[in-house]
Amino acid sequence: MSVTVSMTVNGKAVTGEVEPRTLLVQFLRDHLGLTGTHVGCDTSQCGACVVHIDGESVKSCTALAVQAEGTEVNTIEGLAKDGVLHPMQEAFRENHGLQCGFCTPGMVMSAIELVRGRPDISEKEIREGLEGNICRCTGYHNIVKSIKAGAAAMKG
Amino acid sequence: MGSYLRPRTIEEAVAQLAAGPRILLAGGTDYYPARVGRPLDDDILDITAIPDLTGITDVGDHWRIGALTRWSDLGRADLPPAFDGLKAAARQVGGAQVQNAGTICGNVCNASPAADGMPNLLVLDASVELSAAGSVRTLPVGEFVTGNRATERRADELVTALLIPKVPDGARGSFLKLGTRQYLVISIAMVAVLLVPAADGSVAEARVAVGACSPVAQRLPALEAALRGCVLDAGLADIPDPSHMAPLNPIDDVRATAAYRLDAALTLLRRALREQGGGAA
Repeated sequence: MSVTVSMTVNGKAVTGEVEPRTLLVQFLRDHLGLTGTHVGCDTSQCGACVVHIDGESVKSCTALAVQAEGTEVNTIEGLAKDGVLHPMQEAFRENHGLQCGFCTPGMVMSAIELVRGRPDISEKEIREGLEGNICRCTGYHNIVKSIKAGAAAMKG
Repeated sequence: MGSYLRPRTIEEAVAQLAAGPRILLAGGTDYYPARVGRPLDDDILDITAIPDLTGITDVGDHWRIGALTRWSDLGRADLPPAFDGLKAAARQVGGAQVQNAGTICGNVCNASPAADGMPNLLVLDASVELSAAGSVRTLPVGEFVTGNRATERRADELVTALLIPKVPDGARGSFLKLGTRQYLVISIAMVAVLLVPAADGSVAEARVAVGACSPVAQRLPALEAALRGCVLDAGLADIPDPSHMAPLNPIDDVRATAAYRLDAALTLLRRALREQGGGAA
């Protein structure tokens, strides 16, 4: 049994025929070829799969594609415009907010929701807000620094 | 997957449940992690497209929390200070993305002994509204959850809301939990406290519940009785003693021993009472 699912992904209307059991992350990666969204743990822990649904960050490994019917989904691939990185991506690059990079797409997507409307967000608030994203390389120091810089840059 | 249904109304949903049992799916934050490594083959009733299940509303003598109310909705909601404990739980559960997906009703229905919502709902005297084709009933939340992963929900029923009676003016709730980390871990012990002040500065009413120390979170009636009439200041922290913990029955497991859990619960209770009494937590 397959069902038709339609949503807007990174500003483009997309439609697919999927089995209802298809997870949103599988739809993004396998059906749409958007492999920037990663799968780290499958259990809603690590946050590598974070995307935005209607502007809010969610873990796409724990949502069915059909549950995103009619929504606006944004992934890491949708952030840069005309070859110019999003301020948060640029901040991660400038501040070396990554090592292996596996967690980075989820970190950036979580960070953008976290700092929205909070250009002066504190280090403590950033660390609390990142509880749903796990990085095993960096020790978080440069990620926090990146997000602070990204928050300030997004204001302008 | 077996079959997948996504009704748009409560009537449609309960009619579909009357036809046969199904797994009810809302935020899915417990559903998917419990099925890693095996196919999703359940017959599912996805309730996330039912608008009548959303929203927190003031219904005169009580508050109604719709079944699709997520933790993040609750954390942001404009509610009286009696809800401060529940709101604190909402902001500490699972991390931001889990809060954007998981629902408080799902937390209750999942019936984990360590459900963060439960002690708070117990001190708020919350009830669960269950709808079936042609009938609606309500059960106090402490009767609804009957054990580890067990509830009174019949297979043909849908939990449509939590109902919370209005609390006297000045009542304030608080919540503390202990885990190995602050987020994304299962708690070792958790406490919810709700105090109603009297005009003379004493405690008119005290409600106390402990989670993760018994199959279902428990109120502590002996401690509540001991607190009633006491001066509402930081000295409340001296009232709890081990005899008040009798309703609890913690287990030894990988996270903590039973003795540690009891000790942790007592410490958390003292901290919560000291903080409610105006002292440093």
